[in-house]
Amino acid sequence: MFLSIKIRIKSFAIMGTLLLTLHAVAGIARYWLINSEYQQTIAGRVEVSTPLNSWKRVTEGVYLYQEGIDPYSGDMFHETPVGLYVFDWLIRNCSQWLGIIFVASDLLTAHLLYMTAKYFMVELVETENRERNSYAKDVGNILLKEKDLREAPLHVAAAYLLNPYALLSCAALTTTVFSNLCLASALLAMVSGRHILSGVFLAVATYQSLYPAVLIVPSCMYAARSFGPSKTITGKFKVFTTVGVFLISLAFILCASAKISSGWHFLNSVYGCILTVPDLRPNVGLFWYFFTEMFEHFRSLFLAAFQLNALALYVGPLSMRLRSAPFLLAEALVALAAVFRSYPSLGDIALPLALLPMWRHLFAYMQQGFIVGCFLLITSVLGPTVWHLWIYSRSANANFYFGVTLFFATAQIFLITDLLFAHIKREFSLRNGLKQEIDGKAAKLVLE
Amino acid sequence: MKFKKMGLLTDPGAGRGKLTQVLVCHHSKLCALSYIGGVIWFTLLARDAFNAGTYFSENALLPGLVKEEFDESAIAKTYLSEINDEADRYPDAVPYPWLIAKLKQLNLDTYTHNFTLHYPLGPGRKFTGKNVYGILRAPRGASTEALVLTVPYRPPNSIHPTTAPSLALALSLAKFFRKQKYWAKDIIFLVTEHEQLGVQAWLEAYHGVSCGRDGVLDAGSLSGRGGSIQAAINLEIHSDQVASIDVKIEGLNGQLPNLDLVNLVHRMCLKEGIRHTFKDRDDPRDSETYEGWMHAFHTLMLMVFTQASGVPNGNHGLFHRVVERVFRSLNNLLERFHQSFFFYLLPATDRYISIGMYMPPLGMIGGGLLIKAFVLWLKMQEDKESSPYSEKSRRDGGEVEEKRENGDSDKEAKIAEDKEENKEKGNNDEELRDEECSKLPNPASFKEQGVQSIRNGLAWACAVFLSAHVIGLALLSSTKGITVIGYEYLGLPTEFSLFIGFVIASLLLIVLFPVVCSSASEKPSPCKSQSNGTEWAPFLNIAALLELATVLLAISMHNFSLGLVYAVVFTPSALWIAPTKSRFGIEAVTIEGFAPKVKSKTSPAGFYQLGKLRKGIQRILWLPLQPIILLVIVSLIYTAVMFPEEFAHFDQSFLTRAFSAASNALTFSVVDSYAYGSWFKAVSQSRAKPGALGGKETTSFQPHIAFLSG
Repeated sequence: MFLSIKIRIKSFAIMGTLLLTLHAVAGIARYWLINSEYQQTIAGRVEVSTPLNSWKRVTEGVYLYQEGIDPYSGDMFHETPVGLYVFDWLIRNCSQWLGIIFVASDLLTAHLLYMTAKYFMVELVETENRERNSYAKDVGNILLKEKDLREAPLHVAAAYLLNPYALLSCAALTTTVFSNLCLASALLAMVSGRHILSGVFLAVATYQSLYPAVLIVPSCMYAARSFGPSKTITGKFKVFTTVGVFLISLAFILCASAKISSGWHFLNSVYGCILTVPDLRPNVGLFWYFFTEMFEHFRSLFLAAFQLNALALYVGPLSMRLRSAPFLLAEALVALAAVFRSYPSLGDIALPLALLPMWRHLFAYMQQGFIVGCFLLITSVLGPTVWHLWIYSRSANANFYFGVTLFFATAQIFLITDLLFAHIKREFSLRNGLKQEIDGKAAKLVLE
Repeated sequence: MKFKKMGLLTDPGAGRGKLTQVLVCHHSKLCALSYIGGVIWFTLLARDAFNAGTYFSENALLPGLVKEEFDESAIAKTYLSEINDEADRYPDAVPYPWLIAKLKQLNLDTYTHNFTLHYPLGPGRKFTGKNVYGILRAPRGASTEALVLTVPYRPPNSIHPTTAPSLALALSLAKFFRKQKYWAKDIIFLVTEHEQLGVQAWLEAYHGVSCGRDGVLDAGSLSGRGGSIQAAINLEIHSDQVASIDVKIEGLNGQLPNLDLVNLVHRMCLKEGIRHTFKDRDDPRDSETYEGWMHAFHTLMLMVFTQASGVPNGNHGLFHRVVERVFRSLNNLLERFHQSFFFYLLPATDRYISIGMYMPPLGMIGGGLLIKAFVLWLKMQEDKESSPYSEKSRRDGGEVEEKRENGDSDKEAKIAEDKEENKEKGNNDEELRDEECSKLPNPASFKEQGVQSIRNGLAWACAVFLSAHVIGLALLSSTKGITVIGYEYLGLPTEFSLFIGFVIASLLLIVLFPVVCSSASEKPSPCKSQSNGTEWAPFLNIAALLELATVLLAISMHNFSLGLVYAVVFTPSALWIAPTKSRFGIEAVTIEGFAPKVKSKTSPAGFYQLGKLRKGIQRILWLPLQPIILLVIVSLIYTAVMFPEEFAHFDQSFLTRAFSAASNALTFSVVDSYAYGSWFKAVSQSRAKPGALGGKETTSFQPHIAFLSG
């Protein structure tokens, strides 16, 4: 990749300014929303605040904690004990700075994603250089383009900073802001090759919202990659340390939590709530409707099925198929977890959406971008509309709202499959050349 | 994954798929077809084959099991004569002492309720009103549920026809109901002042909420309440001789009552053998014939227009003994009406069109917008792809710019560019020339001329889009300011200053916006005239199309009729006027916009028309759709229909009348939105007061604030 130093500096200067401007705009927008009259409305939206992340519940829990009542004895509070401890401290000592803290965390998340994207671009180039020999001859124009590589990180940052979902999530002061921060840190540590750190951050992210646990697989893949001569031994050792660090950190945090909440009953309140879905308030996910409608004695069966779908089902097959692209695997897993988790919120969806521009080189292969965009736009508008009809006008009913959220989820799944298939198509083209013929006629790749 | 000779459109490597190709080639025909098809389909809905017979979905109503026992006809006559005596004594007000005494005599829990309207426009005017209501406590229930019977009281000096007979009927019903033992729900007899305003204030006070803007309607408080309201019926009888019952259903913002309630009333009338109508029209005698269809379609359209106006048609119904049956059926209700029987259209009293039947035509009418947007998108992609092959663009020393409007990267319009990079790209281009590769799109090889202009162009696209909405919002919230200025400095009446203010604002925008935009977008692009604005025009176009489609869908969920009118009026222009690279080989700069957008109440279509002179025709076509002009046109037509004799000799008085209708409409819509929180202030709301009839007719068309009032 040829680039003169002069250009580098110049483009960096421009990018730096742009990045700063973006951060400033996003920060101001978030801060304004937090202090505006709309904050209450946004925080009250079921799409943004779920039982797991709503700030109202946090303040409730903290109050109980301060009064010496165990917040986990009721079914109101589902934050982690460490979270409880931190929020307690925040509310005690810097309650007037809360808005700023949330905004700063979100901006930091965006910056971490930006760094992640930068590392990932380097990795892409290295991979391509390494495998260049095995590519077909005529693939010159589908190789990575310098421009894509240069702009992708900026786009990632912008996609998080200006993402309306992230904006709303931050404005509602949801604790998803911090989950996203942890997740972004874990991703950055992972992609930058700091496998121990990635284990630690992954443990924290898992501790917060359970579902990031699946990211241990791509983490291990990264750890196993080593480019030195002593490939296998170092790789195995690194995998071992990553998993070890992950487990030890997780155990450590859990023990610390038990200490804070003086007992292990928090497990039921925090992870029990995530896994058994006792609170069926509507949200953008798929759980509430099914579990409201279902016969009670099938509940455990379907819980298992739904949670397997959210946690474990896709890890195996995707890991095998995406051996060579662990970060794409990570993105797919994060995105799938955002769709299928028990209490998804818009903030959860913002993160995988923001990561998308990293695969700019795949965009040409994606077919459903427009359709997915339309779907997301229409469902985002229609959701609140039918909610209003259901709750306030009382003319529509739950089916309308569920229909819209179902479309919303479908759109996201389309997006993920489209991205994965685009990756596979590009790989295929790289290996086998661009021109494909069957019986002398031009052929095309079809997903079946 | 495997190879196929013919496949779905999943692989860009092999060029466009067949379906896509068909779409791109024939999209204008397709759009037109789908529009016309949708309209025809909708007209067909009035035929019996395309709609369904009404039925009761709530079995708990037990509508057939009620045997009426009402025997208070004589006392009703007495009440009526007493009311008439009282009315003579209070020509301008409700005869409160008499009314309260009567209700107390019947042993009802009787209360009064005071409310105040602070007139939102103009300085410090106040209107007060007082409702009277009596609650019949349920002998067989715990007062957790209630039914409401309302009667608007109209003093003799009111412009509306009297409702004294309905008050007499309500009182006699109260007397009769009092003696029955089977009531499981509270029955509230409510006599309101100031028509809908009184009901609105009473409901707000009953539920302790405020729907409109804070401080406009002060609903006061109630000293007595019943249970949660299950159903309400409004009674308006204008004379003691009842010939027929007309059921009126359209509520605020086009809300409809549960169809079961409507069915119940019709069924009861049928049982009693009373002539019952919808929209003052009988059912068609033979619905299979053409005349039958025309009749039903006419009824249907009457409903569509009333609902679309979003203004409740107050005079709800005209009942006699039917009321007893209805209340006894309602008394059987086990739970609130809850099934989604709220989405329907009625072509006759015994036929209905459900949401599943009327949405597809609307989808077809609006579907063209999505097709168009998709095709524009495809074309945009294609332009990018094809550009590297044009010799000219390569030699122009253009730089690389790839714009992806995918998801959120839309916003990353302002991407840094450096020129030197192109040297390297030159090599890539050589590769591209390779025949082998020519089939594949190359994401990074999208070229254009004059990056600077693109960057500015995209910035402009966003700026135009944003500013249109901001201006619309500003205008929306400027109503008070305009009237204050008009009143304080110019001494103009409210309606007049509001109307003039909006007209001036619209004219300014129509004239200024295109000028500013075109001059500004031309300046910073010395490179090539062709690149000026062209690249971002489609983007803005797509955004506007998608926005229109989305808004259409959202509105039609709230108020189908409004959505339909909106779709029928705006879709053709949106489809026809959106040129990108037009056929004449002229680079198109015209972007169409949609005047009545979500928030941009008065964002004129002219906003978006950054067109040059040659686009003049299209601009003229858009002008009538500019809200304020549409308002005037509608008012003209309306006045012409209402007063044909004046239209015949088209003179000043006709114009004055139309003008005052237009300005009144604007004012009332603004006031309504303040007082009731109606989620759209109708701009083109025309209102006329035919003095002889004293009735109020209101038609309105456009939404301002889209949704989510609550």
